[in-house]
Amino acid sequence: MQKFKKLFYSQKVAPFVFVLPFVLSLLIFWAYPLISGIVMSFQDISFGNRTFVGTSHYVKLANDKFFRTAVLNSVEYMALTLLLMIPIPLVLAVMMESRLTKAKGVWKVIMYIPALTSVVISGMLFRMMFSESDGSQMNQLMIALGHTPIAWLKTKWTAWIALLLLCMWRWTGVNMLYFVSGLKAIDNSIYESADIDGANARQKFWYLTLPLIKPTTIYVITISVYAGLSMFLESFMLWNGNSSPKNIGLTIVGYLYKRGIEKNDLGYACAVGMVLMVIALAINVVQLIATGTFKREES
Amino acid sequence: MKKTWLSVAMAAAVMAAMPFAAMAEEGEATAVTTVGPEDGTHFEMWSFVDAHNEFYGKMVELWNEQNPDKQLNVTFSTYPYSDMHNKLMMSLQAGSGAPDMCDVEIGQFPNYTGDDTPLYALNDALAPYEADCVTSRLDVYSKADGTRIGVPTHVGASVMYWNAELLESYGLDYKSVKTWDDYTALGEQLKEASNGEVFLTSVDTGGVDWMWIAMAEYGDDWTGGPDGEPNVELDSVKKMMTMQKQWLDDGIAMISTDGHIDLEAGFKNVSEGKVASFPKAMWYMSRFTNYMPEMEGKYDITTIPVFEEGQKYSVGIGGTGTVVTEQSADPALAAEFLAWAKLSKEGESYIWSVLGFDVCNSALWFDDEFAFDESNQYNTFFRCKPYEVLQQIANDDAIGTIYSTKVSPTLNDYMCTTTLNEVFEDGMDIDEALAECQEYLEMELM
Amino acid sequence: MAVNKSNQKTMEANHRGLSFLVTLLFAVLCFFIAFPLLAGLLASFRPGRELVQNGLAINWDFKTMTLDNYLYLFGLAGGNSKIDSAKYFMWYKNSLILTILTVVLTLLVCYFVAYGLTMYKFRLQGFLFFMVIATMCVPFEILMLPLYQEVTSLHIINTRAGVILPGLCAASTIFFFRQYMQGLPLELLDAARIDGCTEYGISVRIMMPITKPAFASMAILCAMGSWNNMLWPMLVFRDTNKFTLQIGLNTLLTPYGNNYDLLIAGSMFGIIPILVIYLIFQKYLIDGMTAGAVKG
Repeated sequence: MQKFKKLFYSQKVAPFVFVLPFVLSLLIFWAYPLISGIVMSFQDISFGNRTFVGTSHYVKLANDKFFRTAVLNSVEYMALTLLLMIPIPLVLAVMMESRLTKAKGVWKVIMYIPALTSVVISGMLFRMMFSESDGSQMNQLMIALGHTPIAWLKTKWTAWIALLLLCMWRWTGVNMLYFVSGLKAIDNSIYESADIDGANARQKFWYLTLPLIKPTTIYVITISVYAGLSMFLESFMLWNGNSSPKNIGLTIVGYLYKRGIEKNDLGYACAVGMVLMVIALAINVVQLIATGTFKREES
Repeated sequence: MKKTWLSVAMAAAVMAAMPFAAMAEEGEATAVTTVGPEDGTHFEMWSFVDAHNEFYGKMVELWNEQNPDKQLNVTFSTYPYSDMHNKLMMSLQAGSGAPDMCDVEIGQFPNYTGDDTPLYALNDALAPYEADCVTSRLDVYSKADGTRIGVPTHVGASVMYWNAELLESYGLDYKSVKTWDDYTALGEQLKEASNGEVFLTSVDTGGVDWMWIAMAEYGDDWTGGPDGEPNVELDSVKKMMTMQKQWLDDGIAMISTDGHIDLEAGFKNVSEGKVASFPKAMWYMSRFTNYMPEMEGKYDITTIPVFEEGQKYSVGIGGTGTVVTEQSADPALAAEFLAWAKLSKEGESYIWSVLGFDVCNSALWFDDEFAFDESNQYNTFFRCKPYEVLQQIANDDAIGTIYSTKVSPTLNDYMCTTTLNEVFEDGMDIDEALAECQEYLEMELM
Repeated sequence: MAVNKSNQKTMEANHRGLSFLVTLLFAVLCFFIAFPLLAGLLASFRPGRELVQNGLAINWDFKTMTLDNYLYLFGLAGGNSKIDSAKYFMWYKNSLILTILTVVLTLLVCYFVAYGLTMYKFRLQGFLFFMVIATMCVPFEILMLPLYQEVTSLHIINTRAGVILPGLCAASTIFFFRQYMQGLPLELLDAARIDGCTEYGISVRIMMPITKPAFASMAILCAMGSWNNMLWPMLVFRDTNKFTLQIGLNTLLTPYGNNYDLLIAGSMFGIIPILVIYLIFQKYLIDGMTAGAVKG
């Protein structure tokens, strides 16, 4: 007993005790369903009946032009959101945390609220703002600028402006929050000594803040990669459903829903999901290796 | 420092304890609706419309009064629309957890019409009502071999809605419109009279109702029916598209804002008098009473124009079929109850007076007491009584059938996202656009 | 000396000008962010069909505003109001309980997992971290059916445990804690060990206080995720009296017409609890924790 207790408290065993819940949850709630999912992607599934169809779902995927559109859209969306949703919230967070900004509390709360608003309501509000009718806010703006009204949600690039604005509206506050808490972890004395050395604001940002906030940045990048690739909700909100003109808003997960849920073709949907997983995992693993995140940094 | 940490821990502890305290009193929750005596046969029923469950609840009470030997005890749950279908599918795939009875939207039906359908055959239960019902509505909720698997809620007969006040203010006569040529001519007059301010109608890029109407008129069906092959390159469809494109070119019609008229922007166009008429299913009446109450007395309902005299001129659009799952403990009883609740006079009275639908039991269409009840808001809202139009449709046997088959979701999706947009927005050649759609469908079916 | 002083003065003036500009930037940004919300809020004081008909507009005309929707929401408007209100607050309570349970349990579990993953060197460490990343990359939709079957056979279907357990080890939360702890010096642990602290004691008494800002931000985000989550709770819960607010509000939208009156007011009112959680926890996003701990 004594021996067991000693072992339990030893530095060798402790980490395993800490990670035990994760390992259990991984095996029960992740590995098992995932393996089932992988098996399903090689099957045709109907009520109670499952037949193996080999790789035919994957072969079909390779020739599926809607799927190709969906993958392109998702990858494009991911890339654009990475470009927008990392630097902007980071800079905003740094500004927010500087002594320059007044009434911080108010701005933070306002920027956070969109993520809390019901998807149904905010989707409706954005649809109205970007409606093709003359009276919509965006078209009023266009008219004021001397332009003719635009059918925003019917052509790709205008629709994507709406889509990206919706994304930024909803998530800037949240990403900012990640960076704010990352900034909190930075030791203030580092800045104080930099001040004594006469560093200016830009130097401090490039040479102190950016490197020190790297773990948070990597975190935000990692979750944004998957969030971008798996985007579905924003598109669903904007077009009030899973159909957009000429599929300009079709994403991988949207397509998964179309096949799996709306057409009850779960096997095919699982194959779609597998492709999403492989893309997301590949991008993230490369990104994490490149940034050295797999190693514990020794400072 | 230590103190703040302590207070965080305290706050966390209190918050963690709160739910347990709350759980203790949970027994009181009342909003779950179970109807009927506890010793009755227990069923579980799902719907995606709260009003439907209320209706079924009323019918359970009535059933229990009339059938002392077959008492029912039914628990109702209302789920969000798409999630309910998702959940139903999951529970049927998983083989457990499905309800006894469930509302299924017509678009979802093709998922259940396969050979291994987990749904209970309703033929026996429906038999007493078959003769009185609109057959095409029973057919759309059937398997290819004729096995009935869903009880319809309404016909959803398509009719023409007219802004009578607006048209009359320009001195135009819409009542004499019989054919699409008449309709087009009226459009020209309206354009002139209103200086192009008012459009005769709006053309959908995000809905296929117009195409369904055209097919019904010519007796076509692009799905090919339960056994057939899909074919979208139909003359009826081409005719409708060509006509609509001409309207757009001539400035007679506009493209429906945001795709179709059953959306926020559509209600706006209707209530502001931007469009003067549109064909839509009977259930659109509730949109008027819900969102456009100020249109009371301004709108009229007639039958839809035809291409050639003597054609059918209506088609059932949309709808909900209620199913009984094989997982039910007593599917025969559930089926008997459902058929009675939705197709008997008692049930249909509620469906018409409260839900405001055109009922499937067409024998009742000619029951004046049922159809023309002045206390029904729809009988006073419009310039005509809706069942007058239905009677005419019944007399002419004018309802066509378009099936929902395995290919329907793909077909509708491709039409609404791609083909209609290409034709009306981008001006693509109609034959070319339809050929492209056909090609996609064939690839999809492989 | 004199030069230096005037320098300081210009710096002061610069500082004030810059401060004004930065604050103005946030004000403008927040105006645009708040615009749709404000329109929604104002719309909640009018009949739902007005929003449908008139579209989005900032209309400050108080004369046309009524409290009807909110009276209905609180069961004071007669008719079905009492029943609907009872339902609404039942959903509300359910969401609140579920969210608080989820946040407390998830944070505790994820914190310790991340602690184990970050603060030690052991075999499998790299592999386990890779698994954390991997779980973040799998779409839930493909796990849905097997997970549903599993939860059914574990007899936790239709229970809170069924909703919470599969998501308890939230990879993104573990990852966030890990990234946060990466920046913290390991020497702290050795110092504590010398003082005779056990491994578990260190994780609670030494590290937890230092990671407070991470706890705060994860509490805020976890609460948000749980409050907005619908897909999985929807599959697990079968009884209407267990539904959460998001499920409930979505039942107001049907193909046969939407109950905008209740929907808009209900959604607006539904923001409040999460906002309160935010306000509580954002206080604990405090500066310089590391510095304080190291010095202390």
